[in-house]
Amino acid sequence: MLARDNPFAVQRVLEIRYRLSGLTWEELLERLAALRFRAALVGPHGHGKTTLLEDLGNRLAAQGFRVRAVTLHEGDRRLDAAGRRAFFHGLAASDVLLLDGAEQLARLAWMEVRARTRAAGGLVITCHRPGLLPTLYECRTTPELLAGIVRDLGEEPPPKDLLARHGGNVRNALREMYDTCADRPALRSLASPQPLPE
Amino acid sequence: MENLGIETQYGANAFLPGEMVEGTVSWQLDLPAETVELRLLWYTQGKGDQDIGVVSTVPFANPGLADRRAFRVRIPEGPYSFSGKLISLLWALELVAEPGSRASRLEITVSPTRQEILITPRPPVG
Repeated sequence: MLARDNPFAVQRVLEIRYRLSGLTWEELLERLAALRFRAALVGPHGHGKTTLLEDLGNRLAAQGFRVRAVTLHEGDRRLDAAGRRAFFHGLAASDVLLLDGAEQLARLAWMEVRARTRAAGGLVITCHRPGLLPTLYECRTTPELLAGIVRDLGEEPPPKDLLARHGGNVRNALREMYDTCADRPALRSLASPQPLPE
Repeated sequence: MENLGIETQYGANAFLPGEMVEGTVSWQLDLPAETVELRLLWYTQGKGDQDIGVVSTVPFANPGLADRRAFRVRIPEGPYSFSGKLISLLWALELVAEPGSRASRLEITVSPTRQEILITPRPPVG
């Protein structure tokens, strides 16, 4: 199967939004308010933290907050210049800061973020382990969750042991599904070309 | 109900590098648009992160709620449309009305043969 037809192409997977388990969005937002908008989304790699953070940011923006987001990648031990501008300049109570991958920061850099973002209305982070901020939500994955995502992508349920083989990492499980589909014969070609007349 | 449409001359959907694309766009909007523009772009799709290149834009001044305009846009020399197991590169014309990111897309093919180039794995040697 060609990449453009693969149901597990990254662009299609990214259209699937986070599914909360055990509480509603209203309850999650109430919990966040109770934590004074300073909280963490916690979970291992591939458990949906980034997707949940994006969805939370959209909901906060819809409530009138100005959302500023910074994403840290492997080895980012401190905020870069753009990140520092986004997080440290002109903060007001209407600003909510979203920091994806907070566990990457060195201890001193994290302390600086906490100290210099007090003027913001909120700071929500993702991290692999609890402890940096009070936990708002713990991202968990289940075979049923993966099956639901696969169903939404229009495919048959995955093997029962797929998620376990990837240690609960949904992202990697979906990559394996991509490879499985890629090995299938091509299903269709693009529409017949209609050139301009000579 | 809102409606945005893109039509190329003679319904062409496959073009040579450097070729001129002509056509008309039309829209019917419920809410006024500040800007309406046509974009010629390519994008990748597959196992990895997406890359997008907007090659040219054609803005339509003073867009009405319901309107129809002609456009001309030249296809660049590349990249060509291609597909393999890991990645596809696709071309499209996209009509976008803002605010609201109301959009319509027409997929096209760009290559010297007017056919998508298929990348197939090399058979094992020996």
